[in-house]
Amino acid sequence: MRVLRSCVPVFDTCMNFNTVSAIGFIAFSILLFVIIPSQIEEPLLIMGQSPGLDPALFPQIVAGAFGLLGVWFLVKSRKMAEPNGLSALDKEAIMNVSVSVAVFIAYALLMEPLGFIPSSALMIAGLSIFYGIRNYLMVVCVALAVPIVTYFIFTKGLKVFLPEMPDL
Amino acid sequence: MLDSFMMGLELAFRLDTFAMMGVGLVLGMVVGALPGFTTVMAMAVLLPLSFFLEPLVGIPFLIGVYKGGIFGGSIPAILVSMPGTGAAVATTFDGPALTKKKQPRKALEMALFSSVFGDLSSDVITILAIGPIALVAMQIGPPELASVLFLSLVIITITGGGVFVKGLLMMTLGLFISLIGQDPIGALSRFTFDFFAIKSGIPLLPMLIGLFALPEILLAVEKKATSMIREKLDTKEGGPLTWGELKRCFRTMCRSTVIGTTVGMIPGVGQVVAAFMGYAAAKNASSHPETFGKGELEGIAAAESANNAVNGPTLVPLLTLGIPGDNVTAILLGAFVAQGLRPGPQLFNEQGSLVYAILIAMVMANILFLVLGYFLVPYFAKVVTIQKGILLPLTVVFAFAGSYVFRSDPLDLIILAVFGVFGYIAKKLHFDVTPLVMGFILGPILEYSFGQTVTMSQGNIFGYILTERPITVAIVVATPVLTYYLWRRSARLRSDFGVTSD
Repeated sequence: MRVLRSCVPVFDTCMNFNTVSAIGFIAFSILLFVIIPSQIEEPLLIMGQSPGLDPALFPQIVAGAFGLLGVWFLVKSRKMAEPNGLSALDKEAIMNVSVSVAVFIAYALLMEPLGFIPSSALMIAGLSIFYGIRNYLMVVCVALAVPIVTYFIFTKGLKVFLPEMPDL
Repeated sequence: MLDSFMMGLELAFRLDTFAMMGVGLVLGMVVGALPGFTTVMAMAVLLPLSFFLEPLVGIPFLIGVYKGGIFGGSIPAILVSMPGTGAAVATTFDGPALTKKKQPRKALEMALFSSVFGDLSSDVITILAIGPIALVAMQIGPPELASVLFLSLVIITITGGGVFVKGLLMMTLGLFISLIGQDPIGALSRFTFDFFAIKSGIPLLPMLIGLFALPEILLAVEKKATSMIREKLDTKEGGPLTWGELKRCFRTMCRSTVIGTTVGMIPGVGQVVAAFMGYAAAKNASSHPETFGKGELEGIAAAESANNAVNGPTLVPLLTLGIPGDNVTAILLGAFVAQGLRPGPQLFNEQGSLVYAILIAMVMANILFLVLGYFLVPYFAKVVTIQKGILLPLTVVFAFAGSYVFRSDPLDLIILAVFGVFGYIAKKLHFDVTPLVMGFILGPILEYSFGQTVTMSQGNIFGYILTERPITVAIVVATPVLTYYLWRRSARLRSDFGVTSD
């Protein structure tokens, strides 16, 4: 029975996104083994021995696991028929997701410089309008009210810190 | 003992105890529902309030906050796929799917009833069996903890959705991410690349919110024209839970309660593992496991009963031995000490009636919880009547605010966004992020317990475990057997995408 699958024939084998992922995990395993000696602090030696568990042991186990599982995955991936959800995205979806991610990143970067209330208000208004809300009065009211109420509940009620507006 | 119990019964029935428990429950629910706020934070902030109250009012108040917080985490998990606490992650498998089907009230009520059932049952078991539970807790040490955690990781990975090897790879990735920062034994730096900001590791809550909440938002906006602009405002939040639906889940709730109670006896394991184990067991025992993950009420019942059933037994090592098993019980220990009480064997001998009164207050808190929760749930469920075009940005605000307040570090917002994008890509490529989260949460505890085991064994780990830790031997032997059994069962139920045929 022939089953539809997303597959690119390369050198008489079937390369799909799972195969590429498997190769990626194997490469990551090798990379980890290479960087472990430089990225793990050496423990202090007492009487020539380090007390307790070697801090490099678990990283080495994890690196080894990536390698072994990556090989298993590589073998299995050739028979997998999962559709690639990313390549199935159309232009509208790519645009919508990209704009949303860009807004998230901008919001993350601007929250401290602008303050929680202004950055949140801009984000709510911008995204709501982008997502198609055309009741502008409601958008403005929600964009102002929610961040202000949230700010006061968090800072005055729960005594936690949110970025303040900068002094102008 | 019976005399102490009867006197405790008399002491516990007080109006001010009930009132403060109710206040604690509502505060706990609200704080637990806010992403970025943990139950521990809520209890730590409210601990000083308990100092001004009598022991029989202050300690039940904190217990109310604790119970409310565990349930509160399931509210955003169900409504917007954003787990308010780590224990609510398993609730995101079926909760949001029910919300999408316009049945959020049903999902919330199931979470409430199963939480109360699990909590109440385990509290009763705790009262009846507090002595034997304490004996069991004393037998559990680092080797047992390490072996249980490893078994939990494997079971959670097998019974999750998708291909087994992909789940194992994600779990390994979670273990790797947990390695970044300082090792749990010697506090030596690992994989920080001399970047100071990650010296203490990757924080859990921004990662959790990023992996679960942001991908749902991105999936929803892919087709914004059809899903949002033309959306008709639905003012109905769905019907309530029916008696038949609750009865159908009774067996699942019992099973999960047993699992949660057992897990609660092991200091350090906690609600997260209990929730996943309960879910995995329910899915495996079900005659229709293919419905799990697609809006199955039993899935919510399983996770919530199990994670709340941990609450009772987790107090046993504290009350009987004076040993707090986790940071929640450590805060309760602080409350006891501030009241001039020292938990331990002597407290039982000298003030047995007070101890029983506190345990009885825990049982009463569940009944109060049921009544309060039942009235509050319809208001929470109304969230789905908000237009998606507004609701999604509001979800983003709470996700970012919750991530920021955790450490007041702007880097956490970047971590949130990065894991949000990663979670979205993983979803599109059919990688389940749940094993990643479990590997991240349990990795440091696993490594620490393993390290303690190596130290205790003085280099001869196999000999030590074989001769002195029979419980560990039993768990280690059971692990491959259970793994194989569950893998064979899961293989029969796995999606058709798992294997092709020509």
